[in-house]
Amino acid sequence: MSADEFDPMIERLFARTPPLADEALFLAVFQARLEKRSRWRSLILTAAAVIGGGLALREGVKVNFSDEGGAPVVQGLRSASAAAQGVVQTGLDGLGLGSLDLMSGSGMVMFWAVAGALVAMLAAGAVKLSQDV
Amino acid sequence: MTKSLRELHDVELAVQAAAGGRREYGELVRRHGSAVRGLLRRMGAAPSLADDVAQDAFLQGFQRCAEFRGQGTFAGWIKKIAARLYLKRVAHEARYVAESEVDEAATPVDHARTLDLDEAMKALNETERVCVSLCHGAGMSHPEIAAAMNLPLGTVKSHVKRGLDKLRARLQPATDAGGRSSHVG
Repeated sequence: MSADEFDPMIERLFARTPPLADEALFLAVFQARLEKRSRWRSLILTAAAVIGGGLALREGVKVNFSDEGGAPVVQGLRSASAAAQGVVQTGLDGLGLGSLDLMSGSGMVMFWAVAGALVAMLAAGAVKLSQDV
Repeated sequence: MTKSLRELHDVELAVQAAAGGRREYGELVRRHGSAVRGLLRRMGAAPSLADDVAQDAFLQGFQRCAEFRGQGTFAGWIKKIAARLYLKRVAHEARYVAESEVDEAATPVDHARTLDLDEAMKALNETERVCVSLCHGAGMSHPEIAAAMNLPLGTVKSHVKRGLDKLRARLQPATDAGGRSSHVG
C-alpha cells in the first residue's frame, strides 16, 4: 500500500470511533455543568442588572422641577418621582447599597472602578478564549 | 413540520446552539462526544483526563458556537478545540520536547494478530502519537500543530512521518492480508 493510499486509510480509522459505553453519562455530566454555569451567569447578570438599574433609576428620578408651585402636572410628577425614589431607595437599602451616591466623588470613582474591572475581565476572558480555540 | 433534533444537520444544530439552544448543543455532544474522547485517548490522555478535557472543550464550544460557520465539520472544529486544550494541560510537563523513543524491541510487531488503530498507536512514542492524532484525527495542518505544540515545523513533519511509518508497519500486514481492516478501534 502506498503512502497515498495509506494516509486516507488512517484518517478513516481515526474518524470511525465507536461510541463509548458511558456516552449517556458523559452527556448527562456535560448538561449538568452547562446548566450550572448558565445558572450562575444568569444570577450574576440579574443581580448586576437589578443593582445597576436601581441605582440608575434612583438617579433618574432625582429631577429638579424648577416650576415651584406650578402646574398640577408638575406637582404630580414631583410626587410620583418622590414615591418612586422612596421605593427604589428601600430596595437599595435592602441590598446594603442605599448610601451609594453616584454623584458624589467616591461613588463615581467606585462606579468607574467597577466598570473598568468588568471591562478588563471581559477582555481577559476574550483573549483567553481566543488562545484556547 | 419541524424536524426532530436527530434529523437536523450539525450545522443547523450549531446555529441554534449559537442562539442559546442547549438541547441542540446537547445533541451535538451526544453525536461527537465519543469521537472527541477517543481522539484525546489516542493522543495519550488517561480516560478520566480525556473526559475532563472533552467536557471543557464542549463547554468552550458552546460559548464559541457562533464562530462555527459550517466551514469544515463540527466534529473537526470541536476536536481542534479539545486537542489544543489537552496540549495546554500537559504543556507544563514539557514532555514533547524531551521525549524518549519507544524501544522497538520491547514492542515487537505481531503480524499474526489483527491490530486495530488503538493497538497500533501504542508503537508510537508520545510526541509521534500526539502529532499523528492532531494531523489525522483532529485535521490540523503541520503549521497548526507546530504552533500548538511549540515545536519547529520540520520536527512536527518528522514526527508525523515516523509515526505513520510505524502505523503502516503495524497495520499494513493486517489490511493487506485481508484487503480490509475488520476491527476498528
